[in-house]
Parts: sequence; C-alpha cells; structure tokens
Amino acid sequence: MGEPAGERGVRRGTIVTEGGRVSRRTALIALSALGVAAAGGLAAMPGTAQAQALGQNESVDEALKRLFGGKPMKDGAASVKLEVPLIAENGAVVPVSVSVDSPMTPTNYVKHIYVVADKNRIPVVTRVTLAPEAGRAFMGANIRLGESGDVRAIVEQSDGSLLVVKREVKVTVGGCGG
Amino acid sequence: MSDIGKVRLRIPSPIKPGDVVQVRSLVIHPMERIERDAQGKIIQKNYNYINKVTVTYLGKTVAVFDTTQSVAENPFFSFTFKATDPGQLKVEFLDTTGGRYEGTADIKFS
Repeated sequence: MGEPAGERGVRRGTIVTEGGRVSRRTALIALSALGVAAAGGLAAMPGTAQAQALGQNESVDEALKRLFGGKPMKDGAASVKLEVPLIAENGAVVPVSVSVDSPMTPTNYVKHIYVVADKNRIPVVTRVTLAPEAGRAFMGANIRLGESGDVRAIVEQSDGSLLVVKREVKVTVGGCGG
Repeated sequence: MSDIGKVRLRIPSPIKPGDVVQVRSLVIHPMERIERDAQGKIIQKNYNYINKVTVTYLGKTVAVFDTTQSVAENPFFSFTFKATDPGQLKVEFLDTTGGRYEGTADIKFS
C-alpha cells in the first residue's frame, strides 16, 4: 500500500461525499478517522474508497438512493432535453447528450448532470459538475448500454432541486460484455 | 495500444468574444469493462478506465466529468464554455492506473 493508493482513496472519498451532500470537511474527518481506526493506517483505505466509488455493481434503485437519498425528483420534461437514439444497434457506443434550459448565472445554474442507465450493471454512467462559466448547461458523451432499457438524465440545480427525464433505448447488441 | 492517451479536441471556428462554444473531445483509451470468471463472479482487479475528466479555461474549472466503466471505449465528451478572453482551454483525463492525458487548445478570436 504505497502513496498512490492512499491518494486515490482520498480523491474517491471526496467525490462520493459531494453526491451524498455531506460537506467536504465532514468527509475528510470521516476518512481520517477510518485511517486511524485501521491500525495499519492506509491499509484499510483503498477498500473503503472502492466501496464508495461512483460506479458500482448495484441496481438502479440502490444507485439513486445512494446518490440522492430519496429526495423528491420533479419531471424535467419542460426544461431538460435528453438526446439518445431510439434504437442503438451497437450498445458499446451510444451517443447521449443532455442540455438544460438554465440561465447559468452564479446564482442560478445547473450544478450536476447525471446520466444513469437503468439496466447496466453499473447504472451510474457519469456525473458532470458544471460551473456557471460553461455558459450553457450541456454535456455529451458516448456511453455503453448492456441491454434495452431506460436512460435517465438527472439534473441537480444550484438550489438543490432535482429534475429527471428518461427515455427508452432499444439495444440490438449489448455493449457491457459478460 | 501505443495510441492510448491520444487526445483530440475539436473547436469550431471562428469564435467571437462572448460566444458559448461547444467543444468535442476524444481520448484513445481502452476503458476496460468488468470481467467475470466461468462462474459469473466478478474478477477483482484494478480495471483501467478513465474516472475523471476536467475542463479548465483560463485556469478556471468549467466542467468535471466523473465517469465509470459504463462509458464507451475511446470516450468522447462534449461540453460548452463561454469564450470571454483569448487563452488556453485544457482538457485533462485521469485513469485508474494513474495515467494522465491532456489536450490543450488556444482560444483566439478572429
């Protein structure tokens, strides 16, 4: 267990606590406490961090509960535009883009855009953190889809409210292996 | 495999001050997926995939992508930024094996 493992542990820990809406300080205190608790110090940290990583093998309900803790989500169809193909012939590369109507001013902007693929073994695909300097709330990426199912875009605004949009994608050939 | 870490950025031109510019970025990377043994059990190892993409413009972070293995091989990301001043746009990719790949572009107004 050298330094890189420790570093990675701390970074992952920070990432997750943002999603869990715990302050960075609390998270760091918690992490250091863990380190102390494990007599070996760093020895226990990589495992712990692994367990808290953004992407895990879990069901989509577990993932949403872990990320948002059951906070109410509003239907965002009016302001959130999720672009995915209706039929993806190759699940290994599926282009997805999300754009949100938002003024993107320092007081009212889109903080996070999450892309969640319900049927994937690792349902959380990506979390995008945006700054007002982005000018427009937009993200695009190529993702993998294991099988046909819903793809959701979950938008977290700077006031903490959540908007969700989902679309079904039919996948001809799955892209997650196994 | 020698192409791993090659970054390509595509920026439209011309850009006018104040424009919101949509940038497309691509990195060559295998993005290893989870492997299973004959019993269907997940093989525990440190899979090599990109887990963080950071976009900075004029030294300020504009967007951060935290990604998982559900992102496709040779991942492509697009994002926007508001071009206010000439300067450097940097996109940095970090993977789980400590690899760090970056692409930069100079933003100029014509």
